[in-house]
Amino acid sequence: MSHAVELESVSKRYGDFRAVDGLSLSVPEGCIYGVLGPNGAGKTTTLRMILGVVEPTSGRVSVLGQGSAMSVRERVGYLPEEKGLYRKMKASAVIAYFATLKGMSRRHAELRAHELLDRHGLGLFAGVKTEALSKGMGQKVQVLASIAHDPELVILDEPFSGLDPVNQGVLEEIVRDLKVRGRTVLLSTHVMAHAERLCDRVVIISGGRSLFDGTLEEARRVVPAKVRIRTTDSLEALQDLPLLRELRSLGDGRWEFELEEGADPQAVLEACFANHVRLSHFSATEATLHDAFVRMVGPAAREASYR
Amino acid sequence: MRNAILIAWREFAENAKTRGFWFGILLFPMIWIIGAQVPAFLAKKGTPTRNFVLVDRTGRMGSVVEAALERDEQRRQGEAFREWASARMLAGRSLPAFKGEFDLGRALGEVRPLLRTNVGNFEAPSPRFRRVGPPPGVSIEGDLNAVEGELRGWLREGRSYVPADGRAPVSLFAAVLILEGKTSNAAPVLRFWSENQADTALREKIENALSTDFRLREYVRLGIDSKVVSRVENARAEVVNLSPRKAAGEERVGIADLLRQWAPSAFVYLLWVAVFSIAQMLLNSVIEEKSNRIIEVLLSSVTPVELMAGKLLGIGAVGLVMVGSWIGTLFLVGFWMAGSASAAGAATGGASGLPMELMTLLGDSWILPAFALYFLLGYVLYSAVILAIGSTCNTIKEAQNYMGVIVLLMMVPLVAMTFIPRDPNGPIATFLSWIPPYTPFVMMNRVTAGPPMRDVLGTLVLLVACDVLAIWTCGRIFRSAVMRTGQPASMAQMWRWVRGL
Repeated sequence: MSHAVELESVSKRYGDFRAVDGLSLSVPEGCIYGVLGPNGAGKTTTLRMILGVVEPTSGRVSVLGQGSAMSVRERVGYLPEEKGLYRKMKASAVIAYFATLKGMSRRHAELRAHELLDRHGLGLFAGVKTEALSKGMGQKVQVLASIAHDPELVILDEPFSGLDPVNQGVLEEIVRDLKVRGRTVLLSTHVMAHAERLCDRVVIISGGRSLFDGTLEEARRVVPAKVRIRTTDSLEALQDLPLLRELRSLGDGRWEFELEEGADPQAVLEACFANHVRLSHFSATEATLHDAFVRMVGPAAREASYR
Repeated sequence: MRNAILIAWREFAENAKTRGFWFGILLFPMIWIIGAQVPAFLAKKGTPTRNFVLVDRTGRMGSVVEAALERDEQRRQGEAFREWASARMLAGRSLPAFKGEFDLGRALGEVRPLLRTNVGNFEAPSPRFRRVGPPPGVSIEGDLNAVEGELRGWLREGRSYVPADGRAPVSLFAAVLILEGKTSNAAPVLRFWSENQADTALREKIENALSTDFRLREYVRLGIDSKVVSRVENARAEVVNLSPRKAAGEERVGIADLLRQWAPSAFVYLLWVAVFSIAQMLLNSVIEEKSNRIIEVLLSSVTPVELMAGKLLGIGAVGLVMVGSWIGTLFLVGFWMAGSASAAGAATGGASGLPMELMTLLGDSWILPAFALYFLLGYVLYSAVILAIGSTCNTIKEAQNYMGVIVLLMMVPLVAMTFIPRDPNGPIATFLSWIPPYTPFVMMNRVTAGPPMRDVLGTLVLLVACDVLAIWTCGRIFRSAVMRTGQPASMAQMWRWVRGL
């Protein structure tokens, strides 16, 4: 599989501060790839280095097969973290302007701007100055501006921040649509729910280093599965289960099993039957990306001194 | 290059939509029109008729003063009439010269056949000064101190009243008291009471009337022929103003030469306003993109050099259009005034060809080409610095701190403008010419004075070199600073950027 973006031990230092420290990652073509991390983890700096807006101090960046995003800038779209538009320009003009900077002809860009606004329910606002738009609309306009030239690679930095749940849903649709059309999407977020719904692969970074890189399934597996039971019988026979990492009493006959990585909760049930432990309650909780994130980043994030 | 032009076009289009741009375009024509029309308008309508009470304790000076004011008023009416009539003459006809004292009825009779039909009636301006009777209850016959005390109260309170000899209520502008001189041969004393000490016209006219009258009577008393005195007093040394730089036979210095000396100052001012106002636009444009982080999107699409070039081009074009419109207006107004002035000149027999001379001067001299050249070179220098400043700041407020210094430095040529024309090739002018940020302004100021070729070319080369250096230096600062957020960069930091660290 070829890769839309590859980083090889990329670092960025600002004076003594290491914003990104030896980060490597590969984004397969045609997938939605999430860059996750706590505040100040180096997500934005990573994206800026991929875009060529910031020069890495060391390491190698490759974007769509080129050494620099600048040489393929017509094929890349970008939505920065802090959102802003030319306040005095009309919505359609802003979209068209950014599209022309990405190589589209002016006429084509204007048609495309109107088409996009129409398709996303903003057709009535095409001629409105962006300062008169609501924050959500402005952000939508900016997202449209970043994809107006139909880029192969779209980089979205915290695209969901500041949007209400309905508009977050709309944006998720746009992102999925990009994937359906074979585009690669690289997005950063610290809201795990979005990543969980959208991403095929994620990288979790903290303190400028990669803590995890893989599929969602792999990420979840990092977190041990938990099983809760309720019984009045003795659990002595279950103490030696090979897949058991920890057994905790929650009081009142309730117990929690923390299982080894990859263990199947069904095994606990089977062991209970085999040992004649009668259950009045059994539940297995599947780990979420959130759990995985907190588990991986939690200690580091608490220790880190934020900028 | 395509991107730079796209950016330039957006900058141009967006700035051309702003109110500031149109204000700038219309400002100068408006200033010219207002500057030309308002004083005349004010002279006509602005000053109300000044009412005064005259207390004459000499018994004769009152009539002298009134006669003098009356003559003055006749002259004013005559001028107003001439202005009214000359604008309404039949084609090819000119106004006859009115001889002797002006009489409206006679003048109208003479002129009427020469006027176009349906010109309406001449409305005589209201008189400037009018003697009115004293306020009710004030006797001007009694003790001087008592009279002054009462009049003083009326003046201070500004109350209006209907004088005994009038119908409409008036309010007093002044109380004029004329007393005998201290000794028998001394000039009379004028005691002039008025709240308004700024309008001195009435006081001066009365003072002149009294002095002239006294002098005449003194000549008579001393047996001196007053005609001889007046001839002697009016004698003046004949002055011929010559310039060695002009061709033989044309050395006489005329209005064109004065214009040649001072007109560049106007262009220096124009240059200053132009450079300064578009520098402000440039700053706003950079700060807008920085403060709402559009810069990031831009820099993912274009290189910093393209961005900077686009801004310089786009806003430079805005400036050119603005300056072009000013000069266009200047020409239009100039030709229009030259046209009407030559018509009026033919009519009155006098020559008021100032606008004509100005047009000739602009056509013949290096003023306009120099203006265009120095505008471009000066703009590049200042805008490069301002781009660098804008790129290091996140808000206009932060930028103002730096701009303060720039404005202070830019004040120098503005101040120098007032004395350079007196000594355009002197040491101060020469010294300032060689300081590149001042070169455009100071050389512009010297352009009609034939500065030495060494100064012209030397400063030009230095300025161009300085432009290149500024673009290079500021480009490096811009490139490094424009993505930064947080605190504005320190001088040390900027120096590191310049060195490429």
